[in-house]
Amino acid sequence: MKILKSKGTESVLAPIWNWKITAFAASLLFFVGITAISFGPVSLSFTEIIKTLFGLPGGLTGQDRTLLIDLRLPRALLAALVGAALATSGAVYQTVFRNPLADPYLLGAAAGAGLGATIALTSAGANLYSLLPIFAFFGAILAVLVSFFISGKFFAEPNSLLLSGIAVGSFATAVQTYLQQRNSSSLRPVYSWILGELTVANWQVVTWSSIYILIALTILITVSKQLDGLMLTDEEAYSLGINPNKLRVIAVVAATLATATAVSASGLIGFVGIVVPHLVRGITHRVTNRGLLTIALVGASFLVLADLGARTLLSPAELPIGVITAFVGAPFFLVVLRKKRLVTQ
Amino acid sequence: MIKIEDLNVRFGDRNILTDINIEIEDGKWTCLVGPNGAGKTTLLKSLLGSQPYSGSITDSGVEVFRNHDRNVAFVPQQPQIPIGMSVSEYVMLGRSKRDGWGNESNKSRNLVTDILQLTGLFGMQRQLVSQLSGGEMQRALIARALVQEPTLILLDEPTSALDLHHQIAVLNNIEILKERGVTIISTMHDITLAAMYAEKIVVMHQGRVLLNGTSDFVIHSPELKTAFENRINVFTLDSGRPVIVAKKDLTN
Repeated sequence: MKILKSKGTESVLAPIWNWKITAFAASLLFFVGITAISFGPVSLSFTEIIKTLFGLPGGLTGQDRTLLIDLRLPRALLAALVGAALATSGAVYQTVFRNPLADPYLLGAAAGAGLGATIALTSAGANLYSLLPIFAFFGAILAVLVSFFISGKFFAEPNSLLLSGIAVGSFATAVQTYLQQRNSSSLRPVYSWILGELTVANWQVVTWSSIYILIALTILITVSKQLDGLMLTDEEAYSLGINPNKLRVIAVVAATLATATAVSASGLIGFVGIVVPHLVRGITHRVTNRGLLTIALVGASFLVLADLGARTLLSPAELPIGVITAFVGAPFFLVVLRKKRLVTQ
Repeated sequence: MIKIEDLNVRFGDRNILTDINIEIEDGKWTCLVGPNGAGKTTLLKSLLGSQPYSGSITDSGVEVFRNHDRNVAFVPQQPQIPIGMSVSEYVMLGRSKRDGWGNESNKSRNLVTDILQLTGLFGMQRQLVSQLSGGEMQRALIARALVQEPTLILLDEPTSALDLHHQIAVLNNIEILKERGVTIISTMHDITLAAMYAEKIVVMHQGRVLLNGTSDFVIHSPELKTAFENRINVFTLDSGRPVIVAKKDLTN
């Protein structure tokens, strides 16, 4: 029923999302990516990289080409994938749990992955190091599934899932610590894995992680517009045409798939899932999930840059990337927090 | 016409609503009154279609449960306030079902502008909803319901968070909706206010309907006191309008 006629006044409302921002974030990622792979112990020329990547004549040859194709490119791609996965999952969790402090590791994914990795590294006799990503992946998925199971009714109350996630996480961490104490030789590799590393990047890792992460991100970006409805009460969401329970399950499952894949490919890289979503929201003054694609692109750029720092700052030694993300991310985030008042109550 | 037949809602082994049989007329304002825990909000959620129930609720002959073709606006008593969302974005959410999520049309943007003016929120459209006062938030909720262009609007205690002046302002806004032909069902604590605005009053007590009829009939009915466990007094003003106040003595 039509109840009101528009008087034809010119609307003065700002658009809810400006897609130019997304386009800018995409070009930023491209520029940052090319810059990152040109830096290193051996510098590669910007134009030659572009020519090589697009198969144009005059590209890199010989060792430089191998360096680009087999080392720097897969590593930058993995950083981008992991950054996009963590930033997007963080943003989605913040919406689903109506909590600006939610991060992708909230439901026990981090602790579960840590436990899986520790089991792979401490298992007596067999050398399971090569299986570490698989152990971490299933550890993360299992922890979240147990959280779901314990919380009972699917999302009758998001907070009950949150609490069971915290309990499952604490339990997995306890088991992990116990195993580490029993096998002190594993302490160092587990520790360095927990700080996050992209040194394992090769085309194989990039291929399998890109499959899972791109599937998860496609799902999340497809439902992203409706996610705004989850910021309201369930009855309001329902009256606006959303099935809130179904949407929450879809969102959490996809975000968990992305997080578990990211963790198993690169260890626990903290801070991206909180910093990047708030950064994008703060700069654009928009909290709508229509910005999810932009958050993914900025997350990718952020981690590619962080990895550049990890590779080059103490070259030839490598810094754990998690140290960079927190060391650079935290102060930067605090400045934006102060200036833009991101979390205004 | 909304027809409720043999409606029962149970949470575990508790009966929240028991054997409700009422009819609600289109285009009228029906008010659900009763003490806390009488089942008013649950009845509202059942009418929305989001609350599983046994029995039947039909809106123009169609069962309402999980029927997403209806356009029903819901104004909750305690809204979840999205952190960082601006007033115009918040009101624009009301267009989501009509335009498809994320695709607001020019028509919608103009409508939202008009409604912001109508509800006195124009000029505040860039403010964050989290910074609104109680009265402004209530107006934002009404504005969002208005832009939904619903056939039915359900309001859960629309005036409970407001001072007297804002109560009247919000009720007048709801009356504008009614004049546009929208069916209104609201819960309200204040029976005096309910009788002033609503045409029909349904009195609920412990999950059952005690009284159902025109405001005049209900407010003068001796059974009204039963619903409130004899803890109210009904006075009649010189103008003939009844006023209901709580008894000071709670021991009956």
